[in-house]
Amino acid sequence: MICWTRCWPAMSRRLVAALPGLVVLALILAGLEVAVNAGWIRRALMPPPSAIGLVLWDLLESGEFAAPLLATMKLVFSGFVIGSAIGIAGGVAMGWFPAAYRLLEPLVELVRPIPKAALVPPLMLFLGIGETMKITSVSLAVLFPVLVNTLQGVRGVDRMMLDAARTHGWGTRHTLWHLVLPAALPFILAGMRISLGLALVLAVLAEMLSGQGGLGFLILDMQRSFLIRQMYAWLVILAVLGLALNTLFLLAERRALHWQPANRP
Amino acid sequence: MDFLELDSVTKEFPNRSGPPARIMDRVSLSVREGEFMAVLGPSGCGKSTLLQMAAGLLPVTSGEVRIAGRRVTAPPPEAVYVFQQYTRSLLPWRTVRDNVAFAVEHRIGRRRARDAAETQLGQVGLAGFGDHFPWQLSGGMQQRVAIARALAAEPAMLLMDEPFSAVDALTRLDLQALILDIWTQRKLTVMLVTHDVDEAIYLADRIAMLTQHPTGVSRMVEVGLPRPRDPITTREAPRFLELRHDLLDTLLARHV
Repeated sequence: MICWTRCWPAMSRRLVAALPGLVVLALILAGLEVAVNAGWIRRALMPPPSAIGLVLWDLLESGEFAAPLLATMKLVFSGFVIGSAIGIAGGVAMGWFPAAYRLLEPLVELVRPIPKAALVPPLMLFLGIGETMKITSVSLAVLFPVLVNTLQGVRGVDRMMLDAARTHGWGTRHTLWHLVLPAALPFILAGMRISLGLALVLAVLAEMLSGQGGLGFLILDMQRSFLIRQMYAWLVILAVLGLALNTLFLLAERRALHWQPANRP
Repeated sequence: MDFLELDSVTKEFPNRSGPPARIMDRVSLSVREGEFMAVLGPSGCGKSTLLQMAAGLLPVTSGEVRIAGRRVTAPPPEAVYVFQQYTRSLLPWRTVRDNVAFAVEHRIGRRRARDAAETQLGQVGLAGFGDHFPWQLSGGMQQRVAIARALAAEPAMLLMDEPFSAVDALTRLDLQALILDIWTQRKLTVMLVTHDVDEAIYLADRIAMLTQHPTGVSRMVEVGLPRPRDPITTREAPRFLELRHDLLDTLLARHV
């Protein structure tokens, strides 16, 4: 993956490909600026982008952005890791052991369709409004897409690979770790990619409802305090966090699946 | 001495409507220790099913499979199955070396398995390809990887399911020579399933011909060609041509 001279042409080509989209973005920002300054949009609802930019700059320069950003990142990360781990373990168990499938399938099918946002209020009853509740909410949202995809991936492992493992005398544990999991990895990662978006949604929502800590709380708090420019500035930080998380995940995914046809050099 | 024995093996598959379908009816067949046996039959005659039961990959409905005198209920350590479709039996996320290490890593650990893999890769003419991925190699080379993997387990017997049917004609000749070399060097017992008459005669000591619906052994033919065999002259020997005529006649007659 280390390549400077060879990758530059590819990178600059990608930059050129991204250019039209960036131009559209710049035009919209410029249009907003003009519209707000001309009075077509009420300043109280939508301050000019330049003013939001100044507030954003202050947040960044003073370092004020760091603590809430870190709080939200920590929440997303812990929920993502815990939810994914349970989802993968559950999916492998259900995909491999018929007994586990019969035992858990009704439960999964019942809980899966519930929008996990709706589970935050009852969770608050049991777990309060602290980190435990927030992490549990995020984990729950992450769990199901990962579980369902893992289950599908495990069931889809080629019979012939499994027979190869059997004819060479592989035991169940070795087969699960070294054959089933890597074979199902493309499915698992696809589920995790969906879950990453959900994790951010639930993190922000849990912060809003709990009324403490993180970007979600701040966005709501600024709106309620009529600090509209601050609200938008925090929103931008949240957007960048979402973009960064997604980009990082895609990179990691490509790296893990380097052997797949789409990722071959 | 018989190394592999199939003793009136019957196989039924469940049928959604009506009684189970009996696709194999009391088949008995044995392969002597050190023998190269070819199982010849048209596509869909249950050759692979037979081989999978011999390998302990598929349970028999009734009857018994014995390898080295012991009843087979699970894949036995003495025999390794080599698959027709190497693209589906090799792991695409593993390098060639790690695909060969696959055979023994669970017994001797990854590191020693990799050393063993290097040795086997040399044996099949793939020294220096350990760091490649299977998809970077040609079909013939991928099947060599699959053979190296089977050899790494140091089996006494190879059960080969049309191992050369997915490669081009010239590569097939290469791989046939390779398998004969290995068989001679390691004194293996081989059961090879094929629908290619020339391949069966060229490689085998004996040929078991299968019938269809339900599968049974219709004829057992002694090849009787001298060894070592030569890819060109053996195929021109009168005995080769006579057998070829005879076996093709049987195979084609059944299709009419």
